[in-house]
Amino acid sequence: MSAPKRTPIVVWQLLLGAALLALWEAGSRSGLLDKFFFSRPSDIVRRVAEMFASGAVWGHLATTLLEAALSFAIGVAGGVLFGFLLARNRFLSQLLDPYIRVANALPRVVLAPIFLLWFGLGIWSKVALGVTVVFFIVFFNTFQGVREVDPVIVNNARMLGASERQLIRHVLIPSALAWIFSSLHISIGFAIIAVVVGEYLGAAKGIGYMISQAEGVFDTTGVFAGMAILAAVVLCVGAIVDRLERYLLRWKTRDDAAPESHL
Amino acid sequence: MSVAREAIRFDNVAKSFAEYTAVEGISLSVNAGAFLSVVGPSGCGKSTLLNMAAGLMNPTRGSVSIFGEPLSGINRKAGYMFQQDALLPWKTVEENICLGPELRGVPSSETIAQAHEWIERVGLKGFAHRYPHQLSGGMRKRVAMAQTWINNPEIIFMDEPFGALDVHTRLRMEGEILKLWAETNKTVMFVTHDLEEAIALSDEVVVLSAGPASRIVGTYSVNLKRPRNLIDIKTEAAFNDIYGLVWRDLREEVLRSYERS
Repeated sequence: MSAPKRTPIVVWQLLLGAALLALWEAGSRSGLLDKFFFSRPSDIVRRVAEMFASGAVWGHLATTLLEAALSFAIGVAGGVLFGFLLARNRFLSQLLDPYIRVANALPRVVLAPIFLLWFGLGIWSKVALGVTVVFFIVFFNTFQGVREVDPVIVNNARMLGASERQLIRHVLIPSALAWIFSSLHISIGFAIIAVVVGEYLGAAKGIGYMISQAEGVFDTTGVFAGMAILAAVVLCVGAIVDRLERYLLRWKTRDDAAPESHL
Repeated sequence: MSVAREAIRFDNVAKSFAEYTAVEGISLSVNAGAFLSVVGPSGCGKSTLLNMAAGLMNPTRGSVSIFGEPLSGINRKAGYMFQQDALLPWKTVEENICLGPELRGVPSSETIAQAHEWIERVGLKGFAHRYPHQLSGGMRKRVAMAQTWINNPEIIFMDEPFGALDVHTRLRMEGEILKLWAETNKTVMFVTHDLEEAIALSDEVVVLSAGPASRIVGTYSVNLKRPRNLIDIKTEAAFNDIYGLVWRDLREEVLRSYERS
C-alpha cells in the first residue's frame, strides 16, 4: 500500500490497543475483573519497569535469547542442508518420507521431559527442543523451494552454460531463499516459544522459568509481565528479520513476497 | 557465396513422452547463417524440435547434428530465447546479461564493459541496476536478447519469444532481431504459430502437421529481398503470394488440430 494510506491504519491499530488496555484497567479497578486472576495493565507496566530497573530480568532474558538463537541457528542450518539434500536426491527423499512425516506429526512438547533427562536442566535441553521445531519448518520450506524452481529458468541457465554446481549457486539457492525466508519469520517465533516452554517445564534460568516461578506463588502480575517482555522480544526480532528479508529479497515485488508471519 | 555449411541437421528424429508421440520422422537441415521458422498448429511439437536441437531433450529415435557433429548434452554452440520469462528474477539487468560470460569463466572486468555495450544496444541505458519485475514485458525480452547474444553463439533458438507482447512492441522487437541477425550473421531457428511473422522474418518456413506424431508437411523458401521493412512487408504482393501458398498447407493442419481437440 502507498504511504498516505499506511499512516492512518497504524493510528487505528494503536487506538485499538489502547482501548483494550483501558477497558482492562477500568474493569479491574471497578472490580468487574478480579485483580487476583487478571492483574491490571498499570501494575504490569510497573512490574516490568521494576524488573529492568533492578536488573533482575537481564540474566533471564539473555538465557532465553541465547537458547532461542542457538536452536534457531542449528535448526535453520540443519533444515536448509537436509532440504537441499532431499530435494536433489529423489531416492533419499522417498526413503525418508514416512519417517519425516511421523517425526513431524509428533507434538514437540512431549519431547521436553526426555530432553531434560538427556541434556539436563541447563540450556541444551531447551536448545534441543527449539531445534526440533525450527528444523522441520525450515526443512519443508527449503525442500519445497528447491523443488519448485521454475524449469524455464533452469533451462535458460543451462543454455547459458551453467554446470550443476553453478546451477545450485545461481538458480536453486536464490530461488529457495524466498521460501526459506517465509519460514524464518515463523520459525523465529516458534524457536522462542519452544525454549520458553522448555524453561517452563524445568530450568534454573530464563523467561519461562520466571513465569513458572511467578505462577507458583499465584503472582498473576509476574506472569503477565513475563508475557509482555516475551511479546516485545518476538516483535523486535521479527522486525529485524523483516529488514533482512526486505534487503535479500529486494528483487521481488512486494505483492508476491513471502507471506506475513503468523506468530 | 561459398557452399553453405549445414548448421543443424535432424536425421529421422522422433520424440515420445511415455505413450504420446510428439514428433516423428523429422529430417531437416538448416544452413549456417539462415533464418528458418517452424510453424504449425498449437501442440504440434514445435518447441520439442527446438529443445532437441538445444540438447535440453534427447530424441527417442534418430539423431541431431550440429555443424556435422552428433549432439549429446547441452548444445554449447547455441543460445535460446524462451517463450516464457526466463531471466533470473534475483539478478539485475546487468547481472542477467553478464551471466553467460560469468558461467563460462570470463573475468568480470571484461564482462561488465561488454554488458554495458549490450545494454545500450538493446536500448536499456539507465536500467542496468533494475530487477526484471521492474521492467515491462518488452524490456524483459530485450534483456533476454542481450543475455543470449552476448555469448556470441553460432546458433540461436527462439521459441515464440514475442508471443506475450502487444502487436506494436512485437513488431519493433522483430525488427531488432532481424537487425541483430543481419549484423552478426548467426543461424536462427525460430518457432511461431503466426505465419505472417514466420514469412516476414525468415529465409525458409517449415510447416509441421497437427499433433500427435507431427511430421514435416512442407518447406518453403521465402525469397523476399533484405533488409526487410516489417511495417509494410505484409502488403507486398510477393509476401501475399508466399503467404497464400504456405497457408494452403497450414490451413489443413490447423483444421485437423481442431478436429482432434
